[in-house]
Amino acid sequence: MVAVKETVDAVAELERYKYGFTSDIEQDFAPKGLNADIVRFISEKKGEPEWMLEWRLAAYERWLAMEEPTWASVRYEPVDYQDLYYYAAPKKKEGPKSLDEVDPELLAVYEKLGIPLKEQEVLAGVQGAPKVAVDAVFDSVSVVTTFKKELEKAGVIFMPISEALREHPELVRQYLGSVVPVSDNYFAALNSAVFSDGSFVYIPPGVRCPMELSTYFRINASQTGQFERTLIIADKGSYVSYLEGCTAPMRDENQLHAAVVEIVALEDAEVKYSTVQNWYPGDAEGKGGIYNFVTKRADCRGDRSKVSWTQVETGSAVTWKYPSCILKGEDSSGEFYSIAITNGHQQADTGTKMIHLGKNSKSRIIAKAVSAGKSDSTYRGLVSVHPKATGVRNFTQCDSLLIGKDCGSHTIPYIEAKNGSAQLEHEATTTRLSDDQLFYAQQRGLSEEEAVALLVNGFVRDVMQKLPMEFAVEAQKLVAISLEGSVG
Amino acid sequence: MTAAFDLNDPATFPSRRTEAWKYSDVRRYMRDAPPPSPPGRVEGGGPFYDLGGDGLVFVNGRAVGADAYVAFGDHTLRLRFVSDASRTGHTATARISARPGSTLLLLESHEGHGVAYAAHNRLSIDVPSGAAVHRIVLTDEPADSLSITQAEVTVGEGAVYHQTLIATGGRLQRLETQVHHAGHGADVRLDGLYRLTDSRHVDLTSVVTHAGPDGLTSQLAKGVVTDTARGVFQGRIVVERGADGTDARMGHHALILSDRGEVDAKPELIIYADDVQCAHGNTVGALDETALFYMQQRGLSAEEARALLTEAFLMEVVDRIDHEGAREEVRAWLTERS
Repeated sequence: MVAVKETVDAVAELERYKYGFTSDIEQDFAPKGLNADIVRFISEKKGEPEWMLEWRLAAYERWLAMEEPTWASVRYEPVDYQDLYYYAAPKKKEGPKSLDEVDPELLAVYEKLGIPLKEQEVLAGVQGAPKVAVDAVFDSVSVVTTFKKELEKAGVIFMPISEALREHPELVRQYLGSVVPVSDNYFAALNSAVFSDGSFVYIPPGVRCPMELSTYFRINASQTGQFERTLIIADKGSYVSYLEGCTAPMRDENQLHAAVVEIVALEDAEVKYSTVQNWYPGDAEGKGGIYNFVTKRADCRGDRSKVSWTQVETGSAVTWKYPSCILKGEDSSGEFYSIAITNGHQQADTGTKMIHLGKNSKSRIIAKAVSAGKSDSTYRGLVSVHPKATGVRNFTQCDSLLIGKDCGSHTIPYIEAKNGSAQLEHEATTTRLSDDQLFYAQQRGLSEEEAVALLVNGFVRDVMQKLPMEFAVEAQKLVAISLEGSVG
Repeated sequence: MTAAFDLNDPATFPSRRTEAWKYSDVRRYMRDAPPPSPPGRVEGGGPFYDLGGDGLVFVNGRAVGADAYVAFGDHTLRLRFVSDASRTGHTATARISARPGSTLLLLESHEGHGVAYAAHNRLSIDVPSGAAVHRIVLTDEPADSLSITQAEVTVGEGAVYHQTLIATGGRLQRLETQVHHAGHGADVRLDGLYRLTDSRHVDLTSVVTHAGPDGLTSQLAKGVVTDTARGVFQGRIVVERGADGTDARMGHHALILSDRGEVDAKPELIIYADDVQCAHGNTVGALDETALFYMQQRGLSAEEARALLTEAFLMEVVDRIDHEGAREEVRAWLTERS
């Protein structure tokens, strides 16, 4: 019952979006708008090699020739790409190695972020702090990277991608854009042209990463689109678990977030990527909020490689993302566990793609969607089996829960089997919260909201269990907070 | 593509970039409007002749007599779309309606002779309150034919509309059913079965829109593909705001019995009401090895075992046909061709 108590407390405590604050740290802006010069400016600011600038410019050219896609079942105000800042870096002193060197305002932001930011202690060098390494992205530039030493001992490279471009250009050059090509889609092309920073992870052969790696993204400056680029390479036989969590300050303007995450898993490697996304969803009238248009893809290149995506999507005004797996290796496997909760005027169009190219590759999809208020939630997924991929196995389960008369929930799975040895199963259900169960819970003394939180947490339990401990507690609270005001 | 498909207007020909036609690329086979088919001849009485009833016949798009039918009692109608053409195209338009309180057994057949023709059939079926229509469709068309049948069905409150499609494909064969479901006890069943060989293609597409509360929709589609054939199932169930109490179930199950067969499925649920029970299931796979093994242990050859299991798999759809005479006719028709 501890978890229930926590949920109840959280509901009571969080009447409004807790992380809606703006901190005033001086920002180093590039001028508004986007052109080739801005791309050059970003590249120069980061001291990138020539080939990187060319790569960016080529991506920019491609982007210009592309049209913004409109097929998702989401509606949003069109984004004026010339009215955004493409570069904003907090002014910082030379490489803040200790907390004293870090802007106190920044620390205050960390403090307000609260949640399992045990990393604060890690940053402060507290003894016995949990071993979670953080690469905190504050707006666009990684401010501080911790636990480098211990990771170095294991041979793990975990650093901002801008740094990796300087220190390990050969690795970045080899893998960047190899999973999500620059011209993959409109937002990926935009990201490739203007990405400011992000994380770079390389796990050497046979290494089991000694700790969970974690990045906290945070969109801060007004009208700043944030374009992170994450590249994770798990070499042969390695293992890594990567955590991504997000909060963003309250804003009136819609903010665009178009990140790209690329994962490469070589032979026998395993990558577990977990996300808790809690960006500002807009106010009660649906004004403001983040546009979350992200491209996440994993390439299971090696035989027996495995990638597992777990996501808890509770925030953003519009979420549009499909973390996918290309299962090239024989016996490779992909997993996708998702909880998408929408309330108020939120819209989510999310799901996954499992592209089976390798023999005996396996995939498993469990997606839970909860819609309340006036929100809309769509599961859109693809399971495709190549003619030469024999012995493929897939299981897909999509369950939707509706709370209230004004919300919508949609399931759009695509199944494409191109040979006779595949075994594919898909099932989906849509129901509303059971009156009987609500009544029962209320009879036992729970208020209606508590009962809803309890039942919904039960509904999403299968996925919750896949989350690392660091996230599970926070995610459970988020479920309750997200559904606040959806009943009664 | 926004305009409705029209054989005379190549601008309306969908390609795979058109989402609703993603798996049935008409443009791949036909870029220009085909020359119009000349008048043709009808032979025989069609596959449902033994069941009697009235007849409504179209040959190469032209109605032989009336092009509309109204049922006002307990009726059987044999609706025949006959194509007897080579490298030409034709469009047929038929209107079928049942008076309140009447029951219509609609036996539809698509009979093709000739070479590489393009046939487009538009059908509107009106099932008002208290009426019942049972539609059974058999297709028997050449492997190089292009055939598109689009039925618009309006189902009133408390009405019954049951349909079973038996498709054998063509170069591109699409059987599309749009159902406007008024709810209030209305009962819709959309079953389908496809059995494809060689490089045949079939596309069973349906959209059921629940506009009123307490409607029932049940859908079961099953298919078997061999060689390089391709089966497509696209089913969409829409529950509009206010259509509470809707109970909708959809199932699509397919067997691929060759290395290069293909099955594409897109079962969609679009739901805007909260007090609903909706589910879909979809499976694609091969025959159960243990069942095959078991049957061979009991003395059947591998070939016989496979045929028996395949038949049992498909016959579930046939067994759901309400009308006994039609059910047995369809069963015999299928057995004859296996």
